[in-house]
Amino acid sequence: MLKKILLPSILIILSYGFWVSPDFKEIAAGVSIFLFGMLFLEEGFKAFTGGVLEKLLQKTTDKTWKSLLFGVISTSIMQSSSLVSVITISFISAGLVSLVAGIGIIFGANIGTTTGAWLVAAFGLKVKISAYAMPMLVFGIVLSFQKSKYLKGAGAVLAGLGFLFLGIHYMKEGFEAFKDSFDLASLAVGGYPGLFLFAAIGAAATVVMQSSHATLVLILTALAASQITYENGLALAIGANVGTTITAIIGSLSANVQGKRLAGAHLIFNVVTGVIAIAFISQFVWAVDVVSDKVGIAADNYTMKLAVFHTLFNLTGVLVMVPLIQRLADYLVKSLPEKAKDLAEPLYLNDAAIEFPETVLKALKKEVWHLFDSAFEIMAHGINLHRTEILTSPDLKKTIDNDREVHEFDMDELYESKVKVLYSAIVDFISNSQAHMSSDFSEEMFRLRKAAGEIVECVKHIKHLRKNATKYMLSDNKHIRDEYNQLRYQIAMILREIYRLRGDEDIDHSIAILEMDELKAEIQSAHADLDVRVTGILRDDRITPIMATSLLNDFNYVDETSRHLLDTAQALLVSHTDLVAEAAQEVVLDEDEIEKASAA
Amino acid sequence: MKFTKLVDKFEKLVKKHEKGVGIEVGKLTKLQQLLSDKRDRYQASLDTTEDAGKREKLETRLRVVNAQLEKSKKLPSAN
Repeated sequence: MLKKILLPSILIILSYGFWVSPDFKEIAAGVSIFLFGMLFLEEGFKAFTGGVLEKLLQKTTDKTWKSLLFGVISTSIMQSSSLVSVITISFISAGLVSLVAGIGIIFGANIGTTTGAWLVAAFGLKVKISAYAMPMLVFGIVLSFQKSKYLKGAGAVLAGLGFLFLGIHYMKEGFEAFKDSFDLASLAVGGYPGLFLFAAIGAAATVVMQSSHATLVLILTALAASQITYENGLALAIGANVGTTITAIIGSLSANVQGKRLAGAHLIFNVVTGVIAIAFISQFVWAVDVVSDKVGIAADNYTMKLAVFHTLFNLTGVLVMVPLIQRLADYLVKSLPEKAKDLAEPLYLNDAAIEFPETVLKALKKEVWHLFDSAFEIMAHGINLHRTEILTSPDLKKTIDNDREVHEFDMDELYESKVKVLYSAIVDFISNSQAHMSSDFSEEMFRLRKAAGEIVECVKHIKHLRKNATKYMLSDNKHIRDEYNQLRYQIAMILREIYRLRGDEDIDHSIAILEMDELKAEIQSAHADLDVRVTGILRDDRITPIMATSLLNDFNYVDETSRHLLDTAQALLVSHTDLVAEAAQEVVLDEDEIEKASAA
Repeated sequence: MKFTKLVDKFEKLVKKHEKGVGIEVGKLTKLQQLLSDKRDRYQASLDTTEDAGKREKLETRLRVVNAQLEKSKKLPSAN
């Protein structure tokens, strides 16, 4: 309802403003160009997030101070706390960063945004900024037409900065001209009523513009043109800080629980900081005067003093909230609990990550392992075994020979609800993220999609095997029973080995990858042995010809399943960050080489 | 140098950086070392095992490791 009224109201107010005042038009155009520049800047930096930013982010998760520093530096460079927030949310969702570290980054980002005010107050309002904007725009656009992703990115960053500068220029010009026809400062309200009123205006302006940075620049330009008083400027800055969290909350409504928790932390931080700033406003004003005096800012340089104030109250917020960071995280986890997820729901795929290749691959790999886990459960029951039996039985062969319990379940239904749903989500996620991937990342993504497809094939093969495996597992004919138990054993043994190699941290991944080849060769040998054995027991009339053909058919299913499982595990154990494992991938033997090695 | 040539050169550099030219010698040596250790382990087990079934399995594994070692020696290295 509010949304329906909000947009027309804004459009009507803007149209009225344009009609009555050409200067207002200039200011509004300045804000629009500034916001356009922010979009360009974000797009440009995204081109460079294919690795460096993600690697840095992962290394800054062990200590709170490192997370804080990452938030400060990355936001200072990119001048966009929302981009940093999006990356952080995608990392938390993919399970690569803890909530505490994520909150630390968001706190740091709040300090990082204050550098924007410094830059605008120190340079943007003093020099003729539009003189720099034009060449930047030209160079930026020329570069953005280039093929290379990095040149395009650099072009977008440059053009973004150009638009930011141009926007500031128009805002400045607009306010200067506006001053001659109408004095906004005459509307100034003093004391606490003014503080609350202007804080509310600052928050509303930020919600409308979706950027506290833009609000702050608007405040600074208005302040430089003496269109608002210094006191009201401070209140507007506090409001802008609170307003940015409303934007984050609106954005998190469609996000997953991790995004909601992070938006919650952002809201709590900014509200607490805002309350502190309002409650101790006179102390802050005094502190700003002291700091300004120490660093040589003139007493009447209100724009710089506003930048000092902005930094001081955000710093205070961080100092107050950092000791409470763990409690805040606990509170958010408790108040925003994760829904008990059905196994079939994707656990790691998050659309917020789609533009960040490194994160996409990590999330994807975890999701394919998740699919593997789901398929494992179905395959285990398909051959009438429990997961725990496969994983923990001290003598797997003996367990299989002795266990004649039939597991009653609807395999089709389980396949639909636990495997197909996940597989579809993986395929969908891959197709959505492919546009943002470079060729290197695409290659690994293709490998992961193939692995997911092979897992699905395995479940289908086990479905075909299940009928005869169950029938002959209960047969009185020892020979056919033993042969089918051998097939069950082969599947169970491979699953067990894969989980052992995956879970054992002492085993080098490169060796684990290559060990799969040994298993493949063993299967190949077993295949040759089986042919000889089946011919023998058929000749001796120990099994019927129907039994023999079933066995040979089903062995093909087992053979295919075994290979798919091992290929999948090899693909999932490779990591492009583990160079030895990547090298091992090159040494993995192909089918002919395996056949050669398996032949005695 | 013309601007387009400069851009081409930059792109080539970026591509080279992105793709890499081969496997680092250090990584390849480490992998070969791991495989050699494994081969020695299998050989030692084979020398002390009399069970025919176990011997057959060990021989298969040994052949695989040898084939992998051979293959690793043919791989191009980066330096």
